[in-house]
Amino acid sequence: MEGVTDALNADAVQSLASGAPEWLQNRRLDAWATYERTPMPSTRLEEWRYTDLSRLLELDSLEPLPWSKRTFDRASAPASLDAALEADREASGRVVELDGSVAHVELDADLAEKGVRLLSLRDAVEEIPEVLERRLATEALPATDGKFQALNAALWQDGIVLVVPRGVRMEDPIRVTRHVSRTGQAIFSRVLIVAEPGSQVSFVDEIVSEDLEEQTLFSSAVEIFAEDAAQVQYVSLQRMGRGAFHLAQQRTIAGKDSTLDTLNVTMGASISRLDLNARLMGPGANSDMLGLCFGDGDQHFDHNTSQDHDAPHTHSDLLYKGALDDRARSVFRGIIRVAKGSQQTDAYQTNRNLLLSEHARADSLPNLEIEADDVRCSHGATVGQLDQDHLFYLMSRGLSRPQAERLVVIGFLGEVLQRLPLGGVVEKVSRGIEEKLNG
Amino acid sequence: MPQNEVVQDLGLDEYKYHFITEDEPVFRSGRGLNEKVVREISAQKDEPQWMLDFRLKALEIYNSKPMPTWGGDLSNLENVLEDIFFYVRPQDKMEHSWDDVPPNIKETFERLGIPEAEQKVLAGVGAQYESEMVYHSLKKEWDDKGVIFDSIEDGLKNHPELFREYFGTVIPAADNKFSAMNAAVWSGGSFVYIPKGVELDTPLQAYFRVNQEQMGQFERTLIIAEEGSKAHYIEGCTAPVYSTESFHSGVIEIVVKPGAHFRYTTIQNWSNNMYNLVTQRAMVHENATMEWLDGNLGSKLTMKYPSCYLMGEGAHGSVLSIAYSGDGQHQDTGGKVVHAAPNTTSQIVSKSISKGTGRSTYRGLCQVHEGATNAKSNVECDALLINETSRTDTYPYIEIEEKKSNIGHEATVSKVGDEQLFYLMSRGMSEEEAMALIVRGFIEPIAKLLPLEYAVELNRLIELEMEGSVG
Repeated sequence: MEGVTDALNADAVQSLASGAPEWLQNRRLDAWATYERTPMPSTRLEEWRYTDLSRLLELDSLEPLPWSKRTFDRASAPASLDAALEADREASGRVVELDGSVAHVELDADLAEKGVRLLSLRDAVEEIPEVLERRLATEALPATDGKFQALNAALWQDGIVLVVPRGVRMEDPIRVTRHVSRTGQAIFSRVLIVAEPGSQVSFVDEIVSEDLEEQTLFSSAVEIFAEDAAQVQYVSLQRMGRGAFHLAQQRTIAGKDSTLDTLNVTMGASISRLDLNARLMGPGANSDMLGLCFGDGDQHFDHNTSQDHDAPHTHSDLLYKGALDDRARSVFRGIIRVAKGSQQTDAYQTNRNLLLSEHARADSLPNLEIEADDVRCSHGATVGQLDQDHLFYLMSRGLSRPQAERLVVIGFLGEVLQRLPLGGVVEKVSRGIEEKLNG
Repeated sequence: MPQNEVVQDLGLDEYKYHFITEDEPVFRSGRGLNEKVVREISAQKDEPQWMLDFRLKALEIYNSKPMPTWGGDLSNLENVLEDIFFYVRPQDKMEHSWDDVPPNIKETFERLGIPEAEQKVLAGVGAQYESEMVYHSLKKEWDDKGVIFDSIEDGLKNHPELFREYFGTVIPAADNKFSAMNAAVWSGGSFVYIPKGVELDTPLQAYFRVNQEQMGQFERTLIIAEEGSKAHYIEGCTAPVYSTESFHSGVIEIVVKPGAHFRYTTIQNWSNNMYNLVTQRAMVHENATMEWLDGNLGSKLTMKYPSCYLMGEGAHGSVLSIAYSGDGQHQDTGGKVVHAAPNTTSQIVSKSISKGTGRSTYRGLCQVHEGATNAKSNVECDALLINETSRTDTYPYIEIEEKKSNIGHEATVSKVGDEQLFYLMSRGMSEEEAMALIVRGFIEPIAKLLPLEYAVELNRLIELEMEGSVG
């Protein structure tokens, strides 16, 4: 029973489960049973080859944070949260989450009238139990998927649920801002997005914190369903302080003729691990998967992605780029799987890394598993330093070396943002890059 | 997909090396692998104590290592290994004159065209039958220049100090489970020494044949290319098709000294009941070049990743690999390059064709250590899928610890395009001609580096299979 500690144990699950509807109690308890019998991932597993949890994760010292009713007061918001909100642009709805508990939800009145639901996971259990019973930790991220999927499914304290009814299109994004202030805690949060047929939505999920003294775990489980011909954009912006261990599990399920694009920006935390699985389940489904990371100090980023083509005529295109300074290291492991019968599939995967320091390190494992013949698949990976020709050109135009280097790095990472230029996101990420370069 | 039905077979499937020679070996070990077998092999070879100790230690390592859980399906391998003979001695001594080789063995190699090739194009020939080299010869002009091309056993006997200095240094017994197995029971293979500055203008060739049912072949080759030398070594492998599974696990160690240039070519066409698990590695020193040319056409399962450890400044390594997987075959191949010195360069080009239920896997490693400044590496993998049931995988590992390096990997998977076929047919080609041309074009970058007779053979096989496939 690896990973069962004084604080993370069956009692903690019991206390969360008590009083909940029966289906939810069972789901939590089953998830915990799965957690107990699943061994802790070790570097002997391909997917954890470069991230040694026995060294990096201090599970024994983590306390699960109980849910508590929090209220949000903009005036007394901590600096990082205030800055994140300050930089936001227009939104169709907003959510503020404090230490894993949703403290504020607002939604455009027109959209509410059209049947859009934006609410905390706790409220959703009361108000739309039929949606949760069907979708929460079932089809997309069941506990049986892995140790941490199980842990989150057993111990989640709150989260965010969005349901967009058939045909409803939202002009502006839903913007979620999360803040973590409690050091040494383990926070388990979930996101569930259901875009019904023909609907359209963008969702920006930002998490910020100050530096945290002790290791603090933020576990996020994100489940996204794009039903037939729906269009969904999901953006995760992770700018936590040092001390944070950010553990994100995301699964997207794209139905017939739908578009389900994701952008994962990783700038903060000491350790960040992302598992993203995009499933293309209906003919005509399309997923663009974008990622950008910038590491410095001794940050450790691990991105583990998969593109599963389970239907013919599906298309996916992944671009992950990383810049690494100081002793930072990044891991990219991506796999394209084309199942038997998924003919006429196009699947692409590109990972590019820029090493800015002598001691930075990048590992890249772009994999392909192809079991259909009428496909177009390719992948590419590069690791290198700043392009000397680009630097030379800029310097010949009168820029100093540091100025030229900054421009080249911004240009390198900027390509990712151009592919999903969502208002507010581009500015925030650009500023984050600038701060890192100045740092 | 009409063209897939039309082109039933792409070629290379028809196995023409299925003939069995009737003979009685002079010695055969018991079935399975144990200490007694290891001691028997060592005694048969009249080895020095250090080699017996080396073998026994390797056996311990073998027993302590788990079966790999990655790569191909090895689930039945343990059963196979219990039943096979680890050592089969076909004749009493190795011959240096073709006339002295026993008639039945001679006939085997004559059917494979070896003596003819020797006369025409080769600097030297070695032939291994079951567990032992049965024939080894080297043209006199090279012998006079100090080139050594001998069976590995004679290398140990006649050049004990040179042998011991290098043996097991490139691939230690503990490298992996199968290198440990080979270290315990190795038999046969070549010992090659190219003196300083000697450049061989024609290749050396070794030919490996397994004739007996249920046997394991464990050849071991050690090659030392001294400073500024240049040579090319070719190995070819075949076996008859039996209903039971056979096993081949070679270890090839190569030391390429400063400024030397060595090319190692394998054309593996084992019967498709053969497990072929091979470890091949070269230590490449300052300004030296190592080229692996790896052709995998046969076997049931091959797991083989020729590697270059670039140890000296300016070293260059390349792996060019072509794999063909027909029905039931799995070629799990690729290459490894490790950059451990500045200004080193490497290239891996891999092409695979999967047909029927065949599966081709590229698995590779590109590693740049901190301090290996200005390392450059480029990896390219292309996979061609012929049928709906074919499969291909690509698993590259890229591990970079040095900022001043330039590393790239690219892979594509495709099928023969309708547009390509249509274009060629609109120019008057039949569908089968068009298909053959496209496939030839796909493998051409590697085929052109093969010695002429192999390139011709490869192309001929593809054309042969195209003929009459339009029904």
